[in-house]
Amino acid sequence: MLDALSALVTETVADAASEWDVSGEIPVGVLRGLGAKGVLCAEAKPEFGGLGLSGADNGRLAAHTGALCSSLRSVMTSQGMAAWTIQRFGDRAQRGEYIGRLTGGDLAAVAFSEPGAGSDLSAMTTEIRHEGGEIVVDGLKTWITVAGYADWIVVFGRYEGGGAVALVPASAPGVRVTRVAEPLGCRAAGHATVVLDDVRLPERHLLAVAGQPVLMLTTIALTYGRLSVAWGCVGILRACLTAAARHAARREQFGKPLLQHQLVARHLAELYAAERTATFACEQASRSWDDGSPEQVQAAVLAKHVAAGNAARGAASALQVLASAGAAGGHVVERAFRDAKLMEVIEGSNEICQLMLAEHAASAVG
Amino acid sequence: MTDSTTELPVAAIEQRIGEFLEAKTRTTWERDVDLFASGAVSSLFAMELVVFVEGAFGIQVEGADLAMDNFRTVERMSALVTRLHSGGGGA
Repeated sequence: MLDALSALVTETVADAASEWDVSGEIPVGVLRGLGAKGVLCAEAKPEFGGLGLSGADNGRLAAHTGALCSSLRSVMTSQGMAAWTIQRFGDRAQRGEYIGRLTGGDLAAVAFSEPGAGSDLSAMTTEIRHEGGEIVVDGLKTWITVAGYADWIVVFGRYEGGGAVALVPASAPGVRVTRVAEPLGCRAAGHATVVLDDVRLPERHLLAVAGQPVLMLTTIALTYGRLSVAWGCVGILRACLTAAARHAARREQFGKPLLQHQLVARHLAELYAAERTATFACEQASRSWDDGSPEQVQAAVLAKHVAAGNAARGAASALQVLASAGAAGGHVVERAFRDAKLMEVIEGSNEICQLMLAEHAASAVG
Repeated sequence: MTDSTTELPVAAIEQRIGEFLEAKTRTTWERDVDLFASGAVSSLFAMELVVFVEGAFGIQVEGADLAMDNFRTVERMSALVTRLHSGGGGA
């Protein structure tokens, strides 16, 4: 099934990734089409209309997509994280209804960050409360991936001394979505600011887990997101490696191919090592995820950290090798350079990942 | 994974959980001591506990069952496992 899904993504993206990047827009019909085929959250269970892919295969699909178009891969990460959040935090009826929508063509964004709560998600102030037989959502969410396209915004907020997750239709009264103008990377991923002003919804829009600690909720949701971003970074590295290797073999300067210039060859070697080590870290993390091993939590942080850092350095090296040949707007390596930098920021910045890894390393020696 | 039709004695469940906690925290935990009150447990560790319990006992902890209170002590985790394991219904 992975091969068929990969082929479908290849065929859908065709040669449009550059145009989507430059215009900052993927046609929403393209996204809905992939969504309705279950590709955007391919790990969702068949009982909810999903394809039931393993975590490892879903990761490989994210890498395949990421090598072609990081904006589309971001949509995939968002949709998959939304489905996973509903799977984990919803009751039976909520899982059936809402995951079914996400495998049926509806698009979803997941809203964590706020003006005062980026790395420190415990500082989020968006409020979810009960009032007169309804739930009310009030807050401001910033840099929400996919929100510009979304039918559903999965909103994390404060609720009765803990946290909760509300499923907010983007069309609900009180919701205002404003696109981020020209984001640095993943430019067609629909990043937007979401204002939630006295948004009133039926109580079934509040996921059953309500009241649990905010950080427990965000950690569980983000573990999926980190794995997906990590695999997306593997894709970025593969695209860069292919472009750099091809260019270094063909381009001649000073009377010989670039590959025979040792300083250039070193770039290629490091890019290869970066792609391989990121892949190994992702494979290991996905194996832990599929096996239900508790190691998955740190393994996902490690994979994300290794893959994002490798992608940012690898894309910079690839650009150095291709030079002007890779520097035109929308070129695969130019996109990679911008997209990869953003990957060092989202789903746990380099520094937040380092803090978590340091804590883990310290706890291992008691 | 454990066959969900198998009876699991409480003592065996608690021993398995206790071993996991001891390996992870390098501390032994009485069955009624609050793990979270001690400050020894981070949000990452809370998720590890959830995943451990699911994998070790072949259950799925979702929806309203995914409450910190169900993971607060060895005793409570064992009660959750017993309930979900016997098909006592998730949320």
